[in-house]
Amino acid sequence: MTRTRKPGISRRSTLALMGAGAVTFATPWVARAQAKTIKVGMPTILSGRVAQLGTSSRNGVMLEVEKVNAAGGLAGRQIEMVIRDSKGQPQEAARVARELVNTDGCELLIDAEASSGAFAVHEVARDLGVLCIHTNSETSALTADPKQHIPNAFRTARQGVHDSIVGGSYAAAISKAKGLKKWATCAPDYAYGRDTTGEFTLYLKRFAPDVEIISESWPKLFQPDYTEVVTKILQAKPQALYSCLWGGDLTSYIDQANIYALFTQMEVFAVNMADYTALTVVKNLPKGIHSGNRYIKTYPATAENAAWGDAYKAKYNEYPTNWSWENATAIMLLAEASKKANSADGKKIAEALRGLKIKSPFGADGTVTMRAEDQTLIGYAIGWGTTIPQEPYVPEVKPGDWKTILELEAEWKKSKGYT
Amino acid sequence: MTELQAEQASKVLDNSVTQAKPRPNRDALIALAVFVVLALLPMLTSSKFLLDFVIRCAAYGLFATSLNLLVGYTGLTSFGHGMFFGLGAYGFGLMMQKTGVAVPVAFVATLAITFVVALVIGAICVRLKEIYFAFVTLAFQMLIHSTILSWVSLTGGDQGLRGGIPRPPFLGIDLSNHLHLYIVSCALLVIGLFLMHQIAQSPFGYTLRMIRDNATRASFIGIDVWRAKLTIFVLAALFASTGGIIMALFVSGAYPEFAYWTISGEGIFINMLGGVTTFLGPMVGTALFLILNDTVTRVTEYHGIVLGIVILFFAIGLRKGLMDFVIEWYVQRRERSGERAS
Repeated sequence: MTRTRKPGISRRSTLALMGAGAVTFATPWVARAQAKTIKVGMPTILSGRVAQLGTSSRNGVMLEVEKVNAAGGLAGRQIEMVIRDSKGQPQEAARVARELVNTDGCELLIDAEASSGAFAVHEVARDLGVLCIHTNSETSALTADPKQHIPNAFRTARQGVHDSIVGGSYAAAISKAKGLKKWATCAPDYAYGRDTTGEFTLYLKRFAPDVEIISESWPKLFQPDYTEVVTKILQAKPQALYSCLWGGDLTSYIDQANIYALFTQMEVFAVNMADYTALTVVKNLPKGIHSGNRYIKTYPATAENAAWGDAYKAKYNEYPTNWSWENATAIMLLAEASKKANSADGKKIAEALRGLKIKSPFGADGTVTMRAEDQTLIGYAIGWGTTIPQEPYVPEVKPGDWKTILELEAEWKKSKGYT
Repeated sequence: MTELQAEQASKVLDNSVTQAKPRPNRDALIALAVFVVLALLPMLTSSKFLLDFVIRCAAYGLFATSLNLLVGYTGLTSFGHGMFFGLGAYGFGLMMQKTGVAVPVAFVATLAITFVVALVIGAICVRLKEIYFAFVTLAFQMLIHSTILSWVSLTGGDQGLRGGIPRPPFLGIDLSNHLHLYIVSCALLVIGLFLMHQIAQSPFGYTLRMIRDNATRASFIGIDVWRAKLTIFVLAALFASTGGIIMALFVSGAYPEFAYWTISGEGIFINMLGGVTTFLGPMVGTALFLILNDTVTRVTEYHGIVLGIVILFFAIGLRKGLMDFVIEWYVQRRERSGERAS
């Protein structure tokens, strides 16, 4: 009996397809056997609206990893970064983090997720016990809340409450000098916006008790049109405006507010302005906006910081972001801790990390410290200044005082019931 | 989309499935066998990746299959099914965090909450047809999503439920043990699929198909169309909620993204991949979707393009889901071999 070929899928191609499927499933396990290199997994956001978070985090990490590898790696083992996109979805962040550890054999995790994703990865770290460094989440509760605390998770990002303390005291000083009593606020309507604004006004009123908030606006996150917000603020006629809009939201807001000449009618305090992602995108950057530093190569005004910013620019053809220095710091700390522990083992590195102080281009006094008690970064450069429309954008930054920050932070923790 | 696929569905049904009678005993045996195979899997492989994959399959599979009860069987294209997925995750997570009751109690209580919410939302939505139904379900979903975002004191807002979900052991099952979680997820998946299959094959299931094909005729012969639609809306919500509970256990938290429209969109995408005319279509679609997602994100950050091309291929190229394609191919093959034999 002879058979002729029939259209459709043949048995052979079906088998081939099944084989291909099996291979897709099986390949991840092959990678596990290598021991010479140390794999570091990094879930982050590489697609969608905040893809720049992921790309600039990756750039910051890679810049430092190259240096560490050139100097011999972590305790003699070359670092191999495995960086994967979570699309900004927490369930994907958790899935990717688990996969990086369980399948790809990553021994350390750099969690470059934002907000909810960071908490999802935190739970993975709790479950798997792997050393995890949060690099992008600024939510204070991540390290301040003892319920969140696990011995194997650290943070090298700035913290919301630090920003509020420095911002509040800076704004209060200006307020007193210029007699700014009537304030308006404008912040994105989600936890970060609400919390940061609340903390900022708390500290503003603490340092300048006669300040009064006469108008609050809560535009949606990623809102394209701010006309109604701008007109509402103008009608309220405040003497000063506080805003913690960030990224694309902040730049669209400034472009639209410029049309109404808002910046000539009041003092504006925008905590997230002094980051190149915002500074270089705004069409006509108004002079004299007060802003907290995010990353700027002129502050701290040291040769190390300028050199780091320029090296980054030379390599990636753009300036670093706030996320870049936070991620770079994670690698710097890892390298130092590994040297101190003389090991690439997660537990030993964690032990060495607690209380570790390293030289850093991003330190307020040339050093940053991984505080032992809550395993979060302190001593980083934090300050406020005013903008000019061209480079260096924020020529003079008034540094925040870390002694005051730490005192007020301890008080804040107590008020939240964290200590 | 639905009408086209419904048409194709009736064709396939004519060929093979209409003779099928409800056979709960045989189904139960198959379900048991599948469960045993899944439960034995961890002994064959030490791969945690595979276990994670199956757990996620269980969560998404229950969600997508329950959506198919609406889309494929009743002709109700819900764009807001994800709200019940989110509701399950948040209900269960909050219950475990705030009250500290036993896991089964929280499970049942979550389903009870879902039942009430789905009853209220369903009662409003199922009066509407087609695009109006789709949009009102979408609106309710966004309402729930916004509520989760703004009710910060309860839900943690956009940061989600933090601090992990406590899971005290019950009946010798410890859900913080990954293997136990895997077995429980498999059990929930198999039981869920079995129950949904019974619903689909019951006289009630056939009533739904009739409503899908011609609601006017159904009401003429005395069927209370509104009640039937509401019943299946609520039932589907319960299974979606179960999927959400599994997901909450997997990530040890609940996040607003679980109730966002993208989850509903993924459900629809899965149904298109797998096909809505067969019961197992969405399950196949789930596996396909997760494999695609996992392999593509592993290789490139431009996964949006790849997934977009795949869905275009299915929507414009094949014009049906994978399982529809397989069944059709199988029927044709059987017919041809029948011709050859005679």
